[in-house]
Amino acid sequence: MKTPRILRVALYVYGVLVIVWLYIPLVSVTFASISKARYLTFPIKRYSTAWYAKAVESDTVRDIVSTSLKVAIIVTIISMIVGFFGALAFARYQWRYRRIFQKLILLPIFFPQTVLGLALLMWFNSVGIIPTWKTAVVAHLVWISPIATLIIAIRAYSFDHSLEEAARDMGASTWTVMREITLPLLMPGIVSAGLFAFLLSWGNFPLSLFTTGADSTLPEWLYAKMVSGYSPLVPTVGVISILSSFCIVLIAVVVMWGMRLTRKARS
Amino acid sequence: MSSETILRLDNIVKRFGDFTAVDGVSLDIYEGEFLTIVGPSGSGKSTLIRLLVGMDELTEGSLWLRGERIDQTPANKRPTCMVFQSLALFPHMSVGQNIEFPLKIRGESAEDRRNRALELMALLRLPEHYYTKGVTQCSGGERQRIALARALAFDPEILFFDEPLSALDFRLRKALEKELKDLHERTGKTFVYITHSLEEAMVMSDRIAIMNAGQFVQIAESDDIYARPNSRFVAEFMGEVNLFGVEGTGSGELHGNGVEIHVNGRADEFGIALAPGKQGTLMVRPEFVKFLSSGETSDFVVRGVLRAEYALGSRIQYKVESADGSNLIVENLREDRYQGHVGDSVILGWDIESTHMIVE
Repeated sequence: MKTPRILRVALYVYGVLVIVWLYIPLVSVTFASISKARYLTFPIKRYSTAWYAKAVESDTVRDIVSTSLKVAIIVTIISMIVGFFGALAFARYQWRYRRIFQKLILLPIFFPQTVLGLALLMWFNSVGIIPTWKTAVVAHLVWISPIATLIIAIRAYSFDHSLEEAARDMGASTWTVMREITLPLLMPGIVSAGLFAFLLSWGNFPLSLFTTGADSTLPEWLYAKMVSGYSPLVPTVGVISILSSFCIVLIAVVVMWGMRLTRKARS
Repeated sequence: MSSETILRLDNIVKRFGDFTAVDGVSLDIYEGEFLTIVGPSGSGKSTLIRLLVGMDELTEGSLWLRGERIDQTPANKRPTCMVFQSLALFPHMSVGQNIEFPLKIRGESAEDRRNRALELMALLRLPEHYYTKGVTQCSGGERQRIALARALAFDPEILFFDEPLSALDFRLRKALEKELKDLHERTGKTFVYITHSLEEAMVMSDRIAIMNAGQFVQIAESDDIYARPNSRFVAEFMGEVNLFGVEGTGSGELHGNGVEIHVNGRADEFGIALAPGKQGTLMVRPEFVKFLSSGETSDFVVRGVLRAEYALGSRIQYKVESADGSNLIVENLREDRYQGHVGDSVILGWDIESTHMIVE
């Protein structure tokens, strides 16, 4: 059935409005960051990139960005590895406690993050670990590695067990099967899991708040600045944070595209 | 085909918990033969082939390759290879990479691999430029040939097939059955094929093993199995058939229910005699049953009413209800088609040469 023209137009307009509605906050933060004035007023009288220069020069900003980056990168790498093997256990192998494992692994995701953060903080204290960015890595992993596992498991479910059997039948050892068949076939899932892991860690606030101790990640710092001593440095760093997330997504897309190309070129 | 045994199955049993999937199977597979294991689904044939290639472990029994026991050897150490039902082509590799996979595992040089792959592609009539094509972009028949080429690249002692043609459409399947038979002749390798399709088995095989409920019911050459089944199960499984309960009455005579028998003491001569009082099942294939005109007679006669007519292409199939209410199947070539109508009273007859006696 053909949709009437008027309805199609209405749908387009509605779609555009939804997108505008979603992005207005981001746009206003961007405006706030390039305004010369200390507080955001419309229309903006004078534009300036001064706050960007300040952000780049600031040692504090550099510190928090490097802390956030450290945490996110380590969380990403560990999540990808744990997620890969977790996904095999989740989706591919038949073993005795598989059903229990499948349910238990979901629990941290359903836990409110603030509660999870508090629980971890109390646990760190009780075993005598002083919270730093390293404990934040642990906290992020508790929440993010199950998500990475699920993302890779979805991919693992959709692949045919006989591919591994066939490779084995043709003489491949367990490790060769893993390297030549399992890993390449799960790679798209692993890359998206890594991407999610990075973005979730990079933007995480509740877990970091409880578990970074004296260190501070970017979202924590933004919040602290909002509560005490707002300056346009806050939206500026916010925009930088959004742009870096965007860059990561872009890099991932390019990496996937490159992988496909090299595979074509190799053959 | 020589009569030298390449693979010996000695009383193989496979149990899953309380369920016995393969129940004491013994068989000698000969060097260079095309053996097909046929059975309905659930007969244990897929389980059996997985045991033979080493993907599952036997519960009991032993497996011998050229006199060497191999049932404890893992699949990747066995010189046999299987073409899977799903074909199991690696979707992230090109046609060439798929075919070269077993050679790569063996550590052969890139150049040798490429040459062998191209050689096999030529053998299986895959165009040379397919070497770099992605397997996911190939058609069903091409994928079939790629899987075969890959299995041949492995150069196995025995090539196993797990119903690889079952997903294809009828015409392509028919064409590939013949190709597979040709390939068997050209390569001289031992092929072991499993299928639930009798026709597939008949076209390709030297020998057929019929499997039911985890056991072999009959193992024989294709023609033998078709013409001389050893049980009602095999007779019925191997296509349309007419069966009659008969009893021996001595001196080469038989008595049957619902069939007039005029064998005139020749039952011994044609190997269908029964001792007096002994029960048997008389079998005749539909293509041997003829419509008789009134006055004509035959060794066996059944009177009935023509109930239905089905065109099967080159042949016509008829369903005739006999006087005692049972149904007979008759198949004639199109040019010998019965000149009459559904509802006619008809007389059917066939000769003693075309019958076979099943005693169980």
